[in-house]
Amino acid sequence: MALKNITKEYPGVRALDNVTISFERGEVHALIGENGAGKSTFIKTLSGAIRPTSGTIVFEGKEYSHLEPRQAIDLGIAVVYQELIQFEAMSVADNIFMGVAEHSGLVLNDRERREKARELLAQFDCDVDPAALVRDLSVANRQIVELTKAMVRSAKVVVMDEPTAAITMAEQEKLYEVVKRLKANGVTVIYISHRLEELFVICDRVSVLRDGQYVTTCDMKDLTKLDMVRLMVGRELSSGYPQKKPASDEVVLDVQHLSGNGVTDISFQLHRGEILGFAGLVGSGRTELMHVLYGAAKKQAGTVVLGGKEVHFHSPEEGLKAGIGLIPEDRKFQGCFIEKPIFWNISISALASIVNHTVVNRKKETALADDYKNRLKIKTPYLDQLTSGLSGGNQQKVVIAKALAALPDILIFDEPTRGIDVGARHEIYLLMNELAEGGKSILMVSSDMDELLGMSERIIVLHEGRKAGELTKEEFSQETVLACASGV
Amino acid sequence: MNAKKKMSVGEILGNLSMPILLLLLIVFFSIMTDKFFTPLNLTNILVQNVHVAVCACAVMIIMVSGGCDLSIGYQMSVAAVLVTKLISVHGWNPWLAILLGIALCSLLGTFNGFMGITLKSSTMIITLGTMAIFQGISYLISESKTFHKLPKSFMFLGQGKLFGWLPLNVVIMAVIVVIVAFVMSRTSIGRKVYAAGDNPEAARLAGLNVAKIKILSFTVAGVLVGIAAILLAARSGSADSSTGVGIEFTGITACVLSGVALKGGEGTLWKVIVAVFVLGVLANGMQLINLGTYPQFIAKGTIMLASLYLTNHNAKGI
Repeated sequence: MALKNITKEYPGVRALDNVTISFERGEVHALIGENGAGKSTFIKTLSGAIRPTSGTIVFEGKEYSHLEPRQAIDLGIAVVYQELIQFEAMSVADNIFMGVAEHSGLVLNDRERREKARELLAQFDCDVDPAALVRDLSVANRQIVELTKAMVRSAKVVVMDEPTAAITMAEQEKLYEVVKRLKANGVTVIYISHRLEELFVICDRVSVLRDGQYVTTCDMKDLTKLDMVRLMVGRELSSGYPQKKPASDEVVLDVQHLSGNGVTDISFQLHRGEILGFAGLVGSGRTELMHVLYGAAKKQAGTVVLGGKEVHFHSPEEGLKAGIGLIPEDRKFQGCFIEKPIFWNISISALASIVNHTVVNRKKETALADDYKNRLKIKTPYLDQLTSGLSGGNQQKVVIAKALAALPDILIFDEPTRGIDVGARHEIYLLMNELAEGGKSILMVSSDMDELLGMSERIIVLHEGRKAGELTKEEFSQETVLACASGV
Repeated sequence: MNAKKKMSVGEILGNLSMPILLLLLIVFFSIMTDKFFTPLNLTNILVQNVHVAVCACAVMIIMVSGGCDLSIGYQMSVAAVLVTKLISVHGWNPWLAILLGIALCSLLGTFNGFMGITLKSSTMIITLGTMAIFQGISYLISESKTFHKLPKSFMFLGQGKLFGWLPLNVVIMAVIVVIVAFVMSRTSIGRKVYAAGDNPEAARLAGLNVAKIKILSFTVAGVLVGIAAILLAARSGSADSSTGVGIEFTGITACVLSGVALKGGEGTLWKVIVAVFVLGVLANGMQLINLGTYPQFIAKGTIMLASLYLTNHNAKGI
């Protein structure tokens, strides 16, 4: 299969510019590029969601100017989107067989379908109950359901869009196995990920897109991680993580025996100017702990001393007023108002500073937003553009600006770089360091081990809602963190 | 660097779709009948839609906050019968009765909002329930009677003219519309209502008290509905338990027609008000060309469905 000279123009932008990539049967082909490089447009062209402006799609010798969604499915092209599109209130078996013609006639034989579903899932070493509702499954298992669905439809090409963005490490291993099995069955897998390390584990070849243009295709074994970054960004990036000045000894936040919202007996101290990392598997209670600290969830026991005073927050409103800022893990649903303009988002937590007897002073508001736009280097020509029109990295900067505008002393970064490309990540790291050096203190939750080890000065590891360890910089290593997080 | 984004012709047209539709309807009915475009008839349209416009303000606030209120028709009914009964049967001071009526409506609205928060359920269903409750209350108060014999001072609110030509109720409406539009678009209060409707979870994490915002939106809407009830009763010179019933349909239609998002967080008041008069002109014009009440229902419903289609069409950006 190949895509030849594909160009897709949107008003004012050329999302894909004369891109030609070919895929071989049974290979795992990585597709990488920064956000906005054209990966999603490429996938949408394949799945028939959009029509390219020009170019042809060649599939098993036949040429198509574009595909219709139904046609793509019939040809055997399956896409597992990052935000899984599934029938949440229906069973696993129903999801797998939805839209597949069965011979049993009008009445569905539930028992038979479930048996079949169980067999199919077993191929992937997945033992979920086919009668379970999809919404009750973990993200990883939902992905496997989606892949099983692709297999039932005898898919020849499976596109996976950031499959490991939201799953735990153990689940990642499982997913890699699944990908290998697909490959063994002669399925072509197109694998999109921002996590470059994993590409070495599972991919054969890699194609790079940059600003809508095709850069190159290489064998995975001929590349290093730094090479890939260089190809994606098109310029040299200082490797690794930026260094910051060490924190002071002044304690700004002292948490003792804190319980509530699924976490139990957590104690730690945060110093002025420190970046304190929180590690743990998904579901270990990191986000839940942050929500308790911010006032977004109830504290049941323990004490929180903020700047020398004991505090009891009953709502985020109180946490915010006391000087805590939260950058939530889910940008679109918790972090910002995606269908509202940029300036609107930046000022929403700081309205008190720009109003005159509740009347919003638009000049002050624009000045505030413009100030943060420049400080955070938010790339947009217009502050009244809708936030949804920005790339992931710039959206995240808007969320950070929104938190900063409320002038917090302590910032909680929950998954600060999830789904953000390499270049923007680096900028966010620099920003975090700058904030810490400017006297703010940072709590950082992250599932990205490299980032956690690279950015934190200390790491607290949680396991099933309890503190499983506290590591100093000297003790940092992937193995120790993982051992603690797994409760070993 | 602070340049405003320029709007495309399509966007401008989309923004002006309501005034354009209004203009087209006016031209259409002016051609169809010479009874339409007369000062008397146009004033009639204005005066007859005063209470609708005030209610539409209430519906708009609630919808922007992410709620929906089907009970405002019977809220009006309760306020109207209570106030007119107190005045005509019990001889209360009209102003005291009016104040009590508005206070009661704000209480009913608060109750709706409060239920929405505590029951954690869709306010559309909750207000379907409270609608029945309010209906019962209204008939208990009115005992199915109609209340006339209202004093001149009360009727002046609905029928009086300033300087001998300017209808007082239109002035009251204009003042309310301007205040609501200003609060919604220019103040931090309005900003918070939009935020709570657009994305309640993000609003909560941004430090806003979403529950309070939502409940107070219903409270303020209740006040407006109470005022609308008084204006309507004062104009017709009487009230019974059917007063105001069905207004929620017109109000919601006007909001949806003008692009107030059903999921909350979006909407512009002046467009809502223009949409109210689109519906008003339609009803009036159809009457004049001898299409009675029932064809009007069909027309209103059709327009509502058509506007939903347009909204979706625009949202897809085709």
